Amino acid sequence: MAGKISTDLIRGHTDTIILNVLRQGDSYGYEIYKKIIELSKRQYELKEATLYTAFRRLEQDGYILSYWGDETQGGRRKYYRLTDNGKQLYEQSRENWTFAKCILDKLIEGGVNDVLK
Amino acid sequence: MMYSNENGLDHKVSVYIENLFSGVGGSQQLFDLKEELSINIKEKTIDYQSLGMDDEQAFKEAVISMGDLGGLVDDMRRIGQDTAKQSVYSTMAARISTAGIVTGVLLSLFGLFVSAIIYFQDYSLQDAIGPGIFIVAGGALITYSMLTRESRKKYAMNRTRALFYALSIGLMLFSLFVSLITYFGEGEMYAAIASPMLFFLAGIGLFLYLALTETDRFKNI
Repeated sequence: MAGKISTDLIRGHTDTIILNVLRQGDSYGYEIYKKIIELSKRQYELKEATLYTAFRRLEQDGYILSYWGDETQGGRRKYYRLTDNGKQLYEQSRENWTFAKCILDKLIEGGVNDVLK
Repeated sequence: MMYSNENGLDHKVSVYIENLFSGVGGSQQLFDLKEELSINIKEKTIDYQSLGMDDEQAFKEAVISMGDLGGLVDDMRRIGQDTAKQSVYSTMAARISTAGIVTGVLLSLFGLFVSAIIYFQDYSLQDAIGPGIFIVAGGALITYSMLTRESRKKYAMNRTRALFYALSIGLMLFSLFVSLITYFGEGEMYAAIASPMLFFLAGIGLFLYLALTETDRFKNI
């Protein structure tokens, strides 16, 4: 791997990453954790500790809701589902991200002379 | 490739979780979070085992790779101290449960009254049993609502499990209902036993299964 993502950079996007997983179907903690690893092609891992903190916050704010699964062996899983507010938040965050990505690209890689010409 | 002894893993996880949250005041949220974290650690341990780690190492790796759970512990401690917050968390559930109990009781009483009216109108027990179906529905609803209610001594049961309990009570009441209908309809005792038998067996089977796999919902205050 050439680079790495700083914690600061990813922190602001944890919620959006979770919303993106849940947008594609209800899921539970450990599965969401594995899906995020898969989505990053095994290059990034969001710790469960971070995930569960985010679940609690997102649920309190009404962006996701939870329900218990009916597994009987070895305990039950708590599933999460995106609410309509959550879908809206996801779309908004994605737009913001596309915009920010474009601007940051210019700010970090652009040459001053190219612009001022 | 399962844990050499399934209960061994269960025990390890529960000891770890209890230690992690030791001294944290009880709350419904803590109760739920413990269950959520436990199953996560269990599934992760089993995944690590299937990669070839031994039991002990798999469990350790699973715990370490969860990350720093300190923030969640602090959250829970805050909620445990703040009883006002707790009651906010449970008011919605409590309200639904209360509505369920009231509706269940009214439904049952309605069945009872209609039954009595029909009976005293034409003195036919067979017709009078019919509205008993409201009592069946009411009984199931009351069961569900009582179990999903958080009380001072016990945490609320999760909704799926409560639903199964309600189903088992419903099945048993329904079999009684079918039995009475058959008995007063055909006057044959053997038919009154035979026709509802399957419902009753299903209901009692489900009930026993649930009762025997019950987890501890008592608050330790």
